[in-house]
Amino acid sequence: MTGPAEEAPVTSDFVRSYVITGGRSLPSSDELALHTLVTLAPDRTPPLGAGPEVRAIWELCSGGYLSVAEVAGHLGLPVGVARLLLTDLSEQGHLLRRAEPPRAQNVDRATLEKVLNGLQSLIG
Amino acid sequence: MTSLIKDPLLWILLVVLAAAVLAVSRARRTNLALRRTRKDLEAGLGQAQGRIGQLEAHIDTLGTRHRGELADVRADAESATKAVLKSAMGTLQSLAEEQQLLLDQLLKKYGNDSEVLADLMSVDHTGSQFGRRAKGISVLCGGWLGRRDGAATVYDVARSAQGRIKDFNRVAIHAQVSVAVAGKAVEPVAVVLAELLDNATTYSAPGTPVEVNIQAVPTGVVFIVDDAGLGMDQETKDRAATLLSADGPVDITGLGDPPRFGFAVCGMLANRYGFHVSVGSVSPYGGVRAVIRVPESLLSADVIAPAEPEQEPADEGQEETPQRLAPVPVGPSRVVGTTSGGLPKRRRRQGPIAVVPPPQETAALDEETSESSGEVTASRLGAFARGTQLGRTTNTTEGPDHQ
Repeated sequence: MTGPAEEAPVTSDFVRSYVITGGRSLPSSDELALHTLVTLAPDRTPPLGAGPEVRAIWELCSGGYLSVAEVAGHLGLPVGVARLLLTDLSEQGHLLRRAEPPRAQNVDRATLEKVLNGLQSLIG
Repeated sequence: MTSLIKDPLLWILLVVLAAAVLAVSRARRTNLALRRTRKDLEAGLGQAQGRIGQLEAHIDTLGTRHRGELADVRADAESATKAVLKSAMGTLQSLAEEQQLLLDQLLKKYGNDSEVLADLMSVDHTGSQFGRRAKGISVLCGGWLGRRDGAATVYDVARSAQGRIKDFNRVAIHAQVSVAVAGKAVEPVAVVLAELLDNATTYSAPGTPVEVNIQAVPTGVVFIVDDAGLGMDQETKDRAATLLSADGPVDITGLGDPPRFGFAVCGMLANRYGFHVSVGSVSPYGGVRAVIRVPESLLSADVIAPAEPEQEPADEGQEETPQRLAPVPVGPSRVVGTTSGGLPKRRRRQGPIAVVPPPQETAALDEETSESSGEVTASRLGAFARGTQLGRTTNTTEGPDHQ
């Protein structure tokens, strides 16, 4: 019936991202920055009518804090789309957010040497 | 006797007699001649009639041959047109596919910029519509759709179809089942559903919802498309029925100007892949109800997620505005680690990596980690340890160059 030779494989994303967002305007990146950490609030049930992506987020985030960028990466979605879905969940109270952990500050050499010496004395 | 001879009457009689004999004999000759002529003429007439018969038969054969040749020429012209269109559309199809692949990359690349992302999405939307048109014409001309590896859930098939039409946000999808359509039927069903959705949105008032209900039936799965338009008149119904039941090549020059490909594409694909499309019935909202029935043979054996009862009955009251997120069966909560949660197959999923352990206190919204000066060293050491651990276990986007 189908001539395999004539059928070129199609590999583009089957469900386009504007369908997932339902054509809604996307939240700005200030709301949930790439490094903002999100996790599920305790004792929540998935919202009725959750799409496959929302359920996937639900599973991903139930294990602990993940950054917005990681959620998008795991879903294989553009960050903006994942951010919209996360914003929805957050507005419904399903998500806890926290700011990214602060960057480590430069510590002076003397402190590092003390730490190194301490570690060496512990291990060695 | 002599008196008799001398009697002029006798002579007159003799003369008259002689004349009469002469006349009779001449008349007889004439008669004979005329009979001969008539016989000749009749023979001639017979011949002529025979010729006429032959000529008529010849004209008939010529006429038949002419018609046959005309049909052949038409068929040749049609197939030549189709061949040209098929190859042209093939090029357009692969270009559209290329563009979508490119857009997939761009959407991810510029995903963090919501304005660029929105613009890219509108480009993607027009591209998808363009791809659908190219695919439709290509199918009518004997071309093939692309083949997708792997099955897709009926919900994803419906969403994919939704993305290929102009007014996609008027479409609401309600999936009562979560079975998957086999790989080879994924694109055809999506294309047919897109054509039906395009009809439904085009021939109903702007703003009215178009619903897709997906239900299981004993012989497979049905996609029911309901619109709230005015319905179809009898002529359109007949035309649709003819095109949908066509089991041979479709005459593309007979599709009108501007050509209406929709039903022809549906009929062609349904016939080629073995599913069933009908548009005859009336929707509960007064418009057209179109139904695609996909037989079990075109469904994938592995059920991606267990079917659960729909929360909202399909034929109940109609929403005022199209719904954004369609209700789909939801798995039980907190099913961590089971892949039967209806996840799209395309996603390679590793276990989520917790960057920070879950909070002990629940009210941790946007908590800034404040450090008292006395605990500085300990907390820094902790952060250092977590950082190195994270660095060893994953290669996420966390890192100084992304901050």
